[in-house]
Amino acid sequence: MTAPAGAETRPRYGGVLRVEIRFAGESADPPQTGPGPADLSGSFTITEWEAGRRAVYEANDGAAAGRPYLDRIEVLLARPLRDQSADLELGRADVIELGPSELRRAVSGRKVWSSAPVRVLALVFGSRVEDARIREALSLTIDRGVIHRVLLQQQGEISGALLPQWLSGYAFLFPAATDMARARSLSAGLPAAARTLTLGVDDPALRPMADRIALTSRDAGLTVTVVTGAADVKLAEFRIVSTDPARALTAIAGAMGAAVPAVNAASPEALYAAERSLLEGFRIVPLFHLPDTYGAGPRVKGGLGVSPLGEWRFDNLWLESDRQ
Amino acid sequence: MTFRTKLLLIFTIAVIATVALVEVLVLGSTRRAFEGVESQRVDALVAQFQLEFDRSKQEIVRAVNGVARSDALRDFVTKADYWPYRDVDEAQNLASAQGLKLLELVADDGTIISSAEWQAHYGYPEEWLTRPADWHGMGAFLKREELADGVALSLVAVAAADVADRKLFVVGGQEMDRDFLATLVLPKGMRVLLYRNLEPQFSPSELVASDSRIGDAGRLQPLVERVLAGRRETTRILGSGIDAEGFHALPLAGYEDSLLGVLLIGSSRRELVELESSLRSTGIWVAVGGILMGVVLAWWATARITRPVQLLARSAGKVAAGEWGTTVDVGPADEIGKLAGAFNRMTHELVEQRQRLMQAERVAAWRELARRLAHELKNPLFPLQITVENMQRARENYPEQFDEVFREGTDTLLAELSNLKQIIGRFSDFAKMPAPEMQPVDFNRLVSETMRLFEGQLAQSHIASKVELTPGLPVVPADPEQMTRALRNLILNAIDAMPQGGALIVRTLSLGNGVRLEVADTGQGLTPEECDRLFTPYYTTKTHGTGLGLAIVQSVVSDHKGHITVESEAGKGARFRIDLGGG
Repeated sequence: MTAPAGAETRPRYGGVLRVEIRFAGESADPPQTGPGPADLSGSFTITEWEAGRRAVYEANDGAAAGRPYLDRIEVLLARPLRDQSADLELGRADVIELGPSELRRAVSGRKVWSSAPVRVLALVFGSRVEDARIREALSLTIDRGVIHRVLLQQQGEISGALLPQWLSGYAFLFPAATDMARARSLSAGLPAAARTLTLGVDDPALRPMADRIALTSRDAGLTVTVVTGAADVKLAEFRIVSTDPARALTAIAGAMGAAVPAVNAASPEALYAAERSLLEGFRIVPLFHLPDTYGAGPRVKGGLGVSPLGEWRFDNLWLESDRQ
Repeated sequence: MTFRTKLLLIFTIAVIATVALVEVLVLGSTRRAFEGVESQRVDALVAQFQLEFDRSKQEIVRAVNGVARSDALRDFVTKADYWPYRDVDEAQNLASAQGLKLLELVADDGTIISSAEWQAHYGYPEEWLTRPADWHGMGAFLKREELADGVALSLVAVAAADVADRKLFVVGGQEMDRDFLATLVLPKGMRVLLYRNLEPQFSPSELVASDSRIGDAGRLQPLVERVLAGRRETTRILGSGIDAEGFHALPLAGYEDSLLGVLLIGSSRRELVELESSLRSTGIWVAVGGILMGVVLAWWATARITRPVQLLARSAGKVAAGEWGTTVDVGPADEIGKLAGAFNRMTHELVEQRQRLMQAERVAAWRELARRLAHELKNPLFPLQITVENMQRARENYPEQFDEVFREGTDTLLAELSNLKQIIGRFSDFAKMPAPEMQPVDFNRLVSETMRLFEGQLAQSHIASKVELTPGLPVVPADPEQMTRALRNLILNAIDAMPQGGALIVRTLSLGNGVRLEVADTGQGLTPEECDRLFTPYYTTKTHGTGLGLAIVQSVVSDHKGHITVESEAGKGARFRIDLGGG
């Protein structure tokens, strides 16, 4: 049996890349869409899947683009950010996700891979909150600036739009400033019962942000209680799945459960109007656009491991210490 | 009420009053003693709290200074890429290292960099920190603390840290909550509550206790409000009975002298109340015993004291009843003995005086009798003597007239002898007063029949008579013959009192079951002295008569258990009343 010609002509750096991510992967089958492990399909073949624990991908010798340099990728699932950071520093992991607090820490030899801002953090009101005044009041109390500085460590972009500026070009037109005076005015006109809301947050990493939103809402006379699970309003993260603005907007609107607008991708004005119509009524309140950020250990070579949309591009990576 | 009962009552009241006074004094003294002990306990606890409080303050100051000087803080400040907002978790790390529950790192402009107690509080201003203050000299102080789940009372200290030309404030401390109160070591029966003055009005939810026993928060409200209003220590007893609790309330001033809390040191009064109850019940039993003993002793003493008095009283009663020779045992030589001796002397004197009086009266009566006899006998004897002398003289000088003189003389002698016989008969009648033969008597009828006998004599004497009879007069047992005789004597007496004529009124009156007879005249009347002696035998105000008439009347009335009185004034007539029957 002879090896493929392409494989013979490429250097065999080999090695096992250890990746740690927060993604829980609790389904019985491995994910089929990215970003993340699903992006490895093609170049790698999944050989082990332990839901919620780990996945092992082996290099696919028959990959269309040729066999990847790495022999194997071991992915540790459901790993907290702090533990990932510690594992990277101690050499127990090669690639980890970086949270805002880890991002600004100076770690010797660590490389940072960032995508474009492809995740949008937003508040999505449920149908129970019928009065637009309370939705607007809550949106006006949010101090995006301090959250961006402190919790996000200035990572990503403050935004009042669903599509990021790099994708739509008009995101700056959507207001994102705090207006506590108007928020108080709106709140004052509401009955006491209506001024009480529950803010749901399922991702523990977003809990501090939800707490801060709840805190500032007090200044406008609102009472917001942070809960997990069903709530009046949810703080959630949505992903830009396409570089086509119209498709991206449609996908986000669908993910948020909003009516999907008919968008003409060729017309920026139509796109703007469609997004504006989505945001009118304050049922959806965009907060930030955040990139996917990874940290790679000093052994990892071969350039950026993520695409602008945050997809894993591990085909051309290799591990320095394992070079033969 | 008898003298003995009165004395017994007085003794009993005196014993009860004495016992009650002793009981009150003992209870009052005991209460004061326990109040003193209680006050000392509370003072000790207050002092202990102050010590614990000061110790807690010192520990907080030490911990906060420890944070301010720590390498971790230096690393946090100097190695941060994005000062000041590098890591909102830093305060939590530093706080747990120093055992602080509350810790905030605050930039020199007063904005919170990191908060252990409220992570989301970053970026918020703490304006009070920007005001000039000697944080080091201030030590730890009470402060109102805004937390994610509400408002809390905290004990915090501030340290200003200068690290690598960056100034920041470290504000750390502990929450004044049940855990803090639990650190205080309390004697049995005492507890500590803390009222956190964080609401505009009194709120029961702001009361925390060293244990889970808050009880009725409402009863503490007036005390808390009083302390908050007066800003000074106050002591009150709340509740009653064994549930009563004494509270010493201590105002707790905070930052800039704001009154942020009231410490309530409660001391159960159960032991005191139970002791008081025990003392009271013991006292009651002792008092009851004492009173019973006192009453028995009083009864004995009273009996001892009053027995001679009772003897004296009985003896005096006997004397009053006519037993003039009654004496009592003299007994000991005390006042009662002297009184008994005096009583015996008095009765002895009384007997002697009575005997002397009786003898004198007897002599006087005999003299009166002799005088009356002499007077009565002299009147007929004088004609007898004259008649006999006339007869002698006629026989000697005028023999021819002797027969005629003799005949006239013997007539006169017989008449006067008859008169003497009558006089002797009256004296004899008085001596022979028989016992009354009682039978029902209608006095209206008796009066009418008697008055009919005197109609002629009254008319001859120019006396107008009037008989007033009360209809339906009760029938009274009496001797009709003796009563007729008595009435007749009164009428004769009245006729004699009105030699110039006048008016005679005889009247019957009802006295319930008895009757009254009245005989009134318009004669000369009597002086008071004459009234007193009127019923004395052989006493008379008239120039003739034996003086036995009214004596007989009184004798008859007395034999009928009746009563006779006379009312008279000189010149205005006399009114005799005889009361019979009617009890």
